[in-house]
Amino acid sequence: MRALQFRRSVPKYAAAMVAGGVMPGFGARVGPLRLADVEEPDLPGPDWQRIRPRLAGICGSDLSTIDGKSSRYFEPIVSFPFVPGHEIVADRDGGRVVVEPVLNCIPRGIDPPCSFCATGLTGSCQNIALGSLEPGLQTGYCADTGGGWSTAMVAHESQLHPVPDDMSDEAAVMVEPAACAVHAACRPDVDQPSTVVVLGAGTVGLCTIAAVRTHLRPGTLIASAKHPEQRKLALDLGADVVVEPGEVRRAVRRMSRSPMVGDGVGEGAEVVFDCVGTADSVDDALAIVRPREQVVLVGMPGRISVDLTGLWHKEIRLVGAYAYGREKTGERTFELAFELVAQADLGRLVSATYSLDRYRDAIDHAAHAGSRGAVKVVFDLRGERNR
Amino acid sequence: MRVPVRARFPLGKPNWPSSVPRPALERRTGVDYDTDWARKPAARVARAVIVDDVLRPALHLIASPTVHGEDRLVGLEAPAIFVANHHSHLDTSVLLTSLPEPFRHKAVVAAAADYFFTTRAKGAMSALAIGAIPMERTKVGRRSADMAAELLDDGWNLIMFPEGGRSPDGWGRAFRGGAAYLSLRCGRPVVPLYIEGTGRLWRRGKKWPKVAKRGEGVHLVFGSPVWPEEGEDARRLAARVENTVAALADEWSTDWWSARRRAATGTTPGLTGPSGGAWRRAWALDADASSRSGRRAWP
Amino acid sequence: MSRPGFVLEVDRSTPPILFHHGEGFRLEKLPAGSRVVYPAEPVAPLKDPDAAIRHALLNPVGDSQPLPSLLHSGMKLTIAMDNQAVPLPPMQRPDNRQRVIEIVLDMAAAAGVDDVELIVAHGLHRRMTEPELRHILGDRIYDSFAPHGLLTQHDAEDHDNLVLVGRTEQGEHVELNKRAVTSDLLIYVNVNLVAMDGGHKSTMTGISSYRSLKHHHNVTGMQHSRSFMDPPNSELHNSTWRMGRLLAGAVKIFQIETTLNTDTFPSQFSFLQKREWEWSARDRAAFLATSKSLDRVPPRMARSIFHGMKSPQRMTSVQAGEVEAVHQLTLANLHRQHLVPVEGQADVLTMGLPYLGPYNVNSILNPLLVMCLGLGYFFNLYRGKPLVRKGGVVILSHPTRWEFHPVHHPSYIDFFEQVLAETTDPLEIEKKFEEDFATDPWYIHLYRNSYAYHGVHAFYMWYWGAHALQHVGQVIIVGGEPRAVRRLGFKPASTLRDALEMAEDVVGRNPSITHIHNPPIFLADVT
Repeated sequence: MRALQFRRSVPKYAAAMVAGGVMPGFGARVGPLRLADVEEPDLPGPDWQRIRPRLAGICGSDLSTIDGKSSRYFEPIVSFPFVPGHEIVADRDGGRVVVEPVLNCIPRGIDPPCSFCATGLTGSCQNIALGSLEPGLQTGYCADTGGGWSTAMVAHESQLHPVPDDMSDEAAVMVEPAACAVHAACRPDVDQPSTVVVLGAGTVGLCTIAAVRTHLRPGTLIASAKHPEQRKLALDLGADVVVEPGEVRRAVRRMSRSPMVGDGVGEGAEVVFDCVGTADSVDDALAIVRPREQVVLVGMPGRISVDLTGLWHKEIRLVGAYAYGREKTGERTFELAFELVAQADLGRLVSATYSLDRYRDAIDHAAHAGSRGAVKVVFDLRGERNR
Repeated sequence: MRVPVRARFPLGKPNWPSSVPRPALERRTGVDYDTDWARKPAARVARAVIVDDVLRPALHLIASPTVHGEDRLVGLEAPAIFVANHHSHLDTSVLLTSLPEPFRHKAVVAAAADYFFTTRAKGAMSALAIGAIPMERTKVGRRSADMAAELLDDGWNLIMFPEGGRSPDGWGRAFRGGAAYLSLRCGRPVVPLYIEGTGRLWRRGKKWPKVAKRGEGVHLVFGSPVWPEEGEDARRLAARVENTVAALADEWSTDWWSARRRAATGTTPGLTGPSGGAWRRAWALDADASSRSGRRAWP
Repeated sequence: MSRPGFVLEVDRSTPPILFHHGEGFRLEKLPAGSRVVYPAEPVAPLKDPDAAIRHALLNPVGDSQPLPSLLHSGMKLTIAMDNQAVPLPPMQRPDNRQRVIEIVLDMAAAAGVDDVELIVAHGLHRRMTEPELRHILGDRIYDSFAPHGLLTQHDAEDHDNLVLVGRTEQGEHVELNKRAVTSDLLIYVNVNLVAMDGGHKSTMTGISSYRSLKHHHNVTGMQHSRSFMDPPNSELHNSTWRMGRLLAGAVKIFQIETTLNTDTFPSQFSFLQKREWEWSARDRAAFLATSKSLDRVPPRMARSIFHGMKSPQRMTSVQAGEVEAVHQLTLANLHRQHLVPVEGQADVLTMGLPYLGPYNVNSILNPLLVMCLGLGYFFNLYRGKPLVRKGGVVILSHPTRWEFHPVHHPSYIDFFEQVLAETTDPLEIEKKFEEDFATDPWYIHLYRNSYAYHGVHAFYMWYWGAHALQHVGQVIIVGGEPRAVRRLGFKPASTLRDALEMAEDVVGRNPSITHIHNPPIFLADVT
């Protein structure tokens, strides 16, 4: 089978770090990612199935891995060589499925499962390096399962969600990112806050805007977007006010009608979703959140340097939001995500598709999605040979 | 100075025979000192350099003068007669260096003939450096009055201290009529000025000036030009000018609005201080000074 | 004798024409056949302004008595005056206001008036700083009144010190400064820079509140003020006149208005007020030296050079007495300096915007103020009909940097970033955002305690251009920062030639072009 494979190679990894530092997406040219004909992965156990990806998205975390920027935190919880790709819609015998990629106790055959998996909070499972599989927090980071950027892979029964017939592949591939957003929107313990801010309007940001509008139902939703297409989509998906990143503090101040205190907003937003994950965005988030309220980190931050004095002084809660599982209402996040994708028509966020051969272009496009007017870039595997 | 050994005639000067009457000596000092040369272009250039580049910086170092009310002169055409109260030798320099253009570089100073023009060298220095012209102290004589009027008519601005000398005790003295007389005669306005603080730095009787400490600088307040009114005589005009200077002093020590209100009711404090014993005048002066600057005038 | 303004027909031998361009200048070759409107040369000033003021106070117009007979001891006297928005640029000392108020106070002192208070009638403008107050009032008045708290700045948000005088038949609230309204005599001292200023508008904007201003500072009103530089045809003035009459019935007002000539620039910039073909070798050298060096210094520095400049304009008239009679005389005197007859409208109107408008003295001419200066003030400098035809194109020349004074114009930043990003339609802006900005406690705090324009003031900037926005088909800014220009809803162009070609798309080939050679200020009498 043909696959994009990520291998352990220290010199290439270093080269990718340098190249990715110069120009995002450049790591794909010199780094450890290569297109190869490899053996299809074996089925690790009885409840596993072979599936053939149709579309597989390129995610921000994939890009940082390719550019050698991802945190060393991931070192023990991935296994090489792996095929990236965890936003997957695939064919299996008897129809299309979307993959829920977290490799928790159930796929790993750990019995009894950990306390999190037992209650459905599978995203919080920490047995991701144990059990019958090689380490890997998700499909797409594990040597045993294969990943979406290939023509074939394996998945556990529990990971598969059938796709309704009336849902397009493009919509289905957005279910995984939408699930992340739904989970993030369900994290804060507030109901109908008056002001919510979503920083960033990439895929995560836009999905979060849609999820917040549906699940958190805020009075005013302020979003920050850098590019005009993002701005249009943000407004369309439910933001009331969209401003440029440099303007967000003033916008929040005005909407909350509070004073400025230094560079910060006196009484800001009840919840801030940071969908960027840089030092600047976290700084902004801490400056605009209301005292005693929460900042949700949706974008993966990595190692950044932030002044936490404001967090201490304003007693801010900094909350992470990773993956999905089961929400407070008892529903599975993926079920909610299917609804959200259909209802908000998130399929339109898929802006470009590429074949595996053109993976360098695809990654380059994904790395500059915003400035090139795109949101989600995906690999289209439906036309690949050997499928 | 006398040369000890005199060369004999014909190398030296011949003696005058005692039997032959001597002609009257042409007086060339005092009021009779001729200052015409000091108003020729070369001397004016030299004076401009002295005033702007020597006196002005020196004065800023010693007295750090602050000017108030300069805007009252906007639109006033030269020539004019500038009169001020007089405490110190610094006054002339303060005034001369603070006058705005076009007055500064075409100004002459009426200086006491019996002080500044006693010798030709002293007269030349005064005429060159500050544009001094000799003037009698007590009453304006025919010759000096004619000269001053002629200069005014020629477009020269005149600076005068109508008290007729520096204050002996820190209080002002009554204004004499010279400036008013010239104003009436030439139809030019009198610009009253109030100078504050020079007496602190260089009192009459002191050999050298003190250098002003911070916040102790000299102040110069310009008043609005006073034009002679119809049918006014020199005495009345002089009194009006003196009142204006007194009002300026009042304005400086309180504020303009209070001063205007006192002037309107005729209760502006005079420049001459209280009458009575010398100690009372000194006492009042001290009280006045300390209320302004918090510093005692007495050592 | 100063020469009147006139309209130049550009031919092939006409030299390039000077365009103001923020803190700099451009020389532009206009196509043959274009017209350039030149202002009149400065008219002769009053020989003795102080005597003229005294004469005006002793011989008031309208049904007013001479000022001294209105003053008596024991009375409560309030003197209100215009703020730093006039004149432009700030005039060399002494300012008209200082001259007038000193003489007024002299008379008050003579009459034994003790209770006197001075109020800066800055409306919703920012408060003035001490150096600015000293500049317009002089040190004597400042030192006499400010230390005792008797020189105050109007506060439109101090509700304890506002009083509702009444409502007009049209239901307009007349809410004004309490001290002014409860005085035995209110003296208003103005500097009537342009025909918009003065009359009842002085008090109705200067010492009133947002609630009161709303009746005439709104989109519909401004769209029906054609132009607001021509009071008889201005809804702004109709409303303020109605409200002013109500006030005049409640408190005795003695209005003192002064006009200035257009001797706008000091001698080193004298080429700015000469016609290009009359530039001497010295003028050309001065122009080259100035514009080359301005190109090389950073904008900040160029700005501080320009804002340090004080204009040599001089008083041309002063009149006092009953408001309306006074203002009629004022307008006549103003027209004597400002009116330039122009025949017919053009397809394209070009103008070079200088570094300064009424709202950025010692500040930055931000993009919003660029709009207001171009489409508000310059566009409206007409009587009769606009200089550009309906559906025509206005071309402005200004660097239009995305730059705001953070202390003076905080609400402008938000307006520009948040409101204009959503819509540039004045009516929609008014409906959706005005109330919100006007009542924002943070802006109110900054207006009252810092040096910020009121939160709603940014809206007025936009409303001031509402008539022009409705009238013209397109607005192009030459040499502006594209991002900022687009945010204003206008089109950026890098050269005048490009702009003219873009204009052809709207008004057709070979358009007629009129350029206004302003400042110095004039008022086009268009027939």
